[in-house]
Amino acid sequence: MTDEIQVQEEDNEAIFDPSMKKKKKKKKTPFDLDAALGGEAQNDEAEADADASTENVDSGTKPAEKEAEGDGETTTKKEKTSTDNFDDLDLEDFTAMKKKKKKKKTAFVMDGVEAALPEVDDSASKEQAEEDVPMATEEMPDMEDLDITKQKKKKKKKKKRIEDMEGEDTVDAVISKEEDNSELKDTSGTTWVGTERDYTYDELLTRVFDIMRSKNPDMVTGEKKRFVMRPPQVVRVGTKKSSFVNFTEICKMLHRPTEHLLNFLLAELGTSGSIDGNNQLIIKGRFQQKQMESVLRRYIKEYVTCHTCRSSETFLHKENRLFFLQCERCQSRCSVASIKSGFQALTGKRAQLRAKAN
Amino acid sequence: MSVSQDISLNYSAPGSDIFVNESSNADKKVHIRIQQRNGRKTLTTIQGIDECYDLKRILKVCKKEFACNGTVVEHAEYGQVIQLQGDQRTKINDFMLKLGICKKAQVQVHGF
Repeated sequence: MTDEIQVQEEDNEAIFDPSMKKKKKKKKTPFDLDAALGGEAQNDEAEADADASTENVDSGTKPAEKEAEGDGETTTKKEKTSTDNFDDLDLEDFTAMKKKKKKKKTAFVMDGVEAALPEVDDSASKEQAEEDVPMATEEMPDMEDLDITKQKKKKKKKKKRIEDMEGEDTVDAVISKEEDNSELKDTSGTTWVGTERDYTYDELLTRVFDIMRSKNPDMVTGEKKRFVMRPPQVVRVGTKKSSFVNFTEICKMLHRPTEHLLNFLLAELGTSGSIDGNNQLIIKGRFQQKQMESVLRRYIKEYVTCHTCRSSETFLHKENRLFFLQCERCQSRCSVASIKSGFQALTGKRAQLRAKAN
Repeated sequence: MSVSQDISLNYSAPGSDIFVNESSNADKKVHIRIQQRNGRKTLTTIQGIDECYDLKRILKVCKKEFACNGTVVEHAEYGQVIQLQGDQRTKINDFMLKLGICKKAQVQVHGF
């Protein structure tokens, strides 16, 4: 039995992968192993928690059962079918189980929270490796309970809770409880559909997050994608000039024409300069890498990242002498400031200028 | 949007928004720039201070406060521009904000 469940569990994990953070993925392997080995007696605390949770589960389900029995034939039938196969149960007897459900709901929501919370505290203090252990241990007793297969329903409830927690980066232990219903993804979002009760806030919340996850898996896995760039290499050329060695490289990285960045840099630094044969930018004046970085950062902020969603997947195009920044992710489009060097004070020798003019 | 339109009417210069911004005092940017001179010497220029202020008097105070020299330059396009010797960008910025010569959103500091 345990083996079977393990397999199912793995499948489930696979399904849930996108919704989990990377951290969790890592944990998965050790956790499965432990479970397989039955590493029960490793962590007392965890076991205690687990026991408590299972007990709660039992107490919660019992009254519900009684009621169900009162209903008579339908329920007994259902019981049988449930033992035969888990998955059908959920789909079939929604209506029959209405009462049951309601009862359990209240009991379970609480249980889920209680069971999960101490777990969080414990695990937070421990290191990762240790964290894995309690998960495994907790899982075992739970599995045994499940073997009895009386209540599919109970599982479901918990599951929902669990998904909520996941969102907030909580315990993996909880996840382990949500094995065998592989179709839970569908049902979890709309548990209230067949029933008379109203949906709860949590359910709606999970539903919305599920939808979001399914529609764009990127968003879930990547916390914010940070815009990383290689630092500009600035080297002094002689005493009066600086060379921006990887200038064209950086332009390519930013997907901007070299002239645009060039104009910006020159205007911002108030100097003159040009690109030499080796594709590096020679600027008049002494500049250090740090200074160049700050200027580049300003450029990126204004001309590369989308002003609405801050993604860097944008492109610049010119329209009526104005530059527009179009975001490829959110499709927003906004004009950006034109590059103007503004007032330039005379820094050269005036005599030279006069000589040139004549 | 409606505000800018009003302004454009006042200035009797209807047209694209850019021109409106240019002529309205409220949105006018004050640019603080830095320029490198020979060696490690620099110049700070402040362009776009509202014309209702007497730049010469501002300059006088600035020179004393920052212990630097400076002048007011007339420019055909940009009007009167204050030039200060040395890198006074942060000082002049604080100074202008403190005296309320311009608002924080107006100021744009350029350079490294």
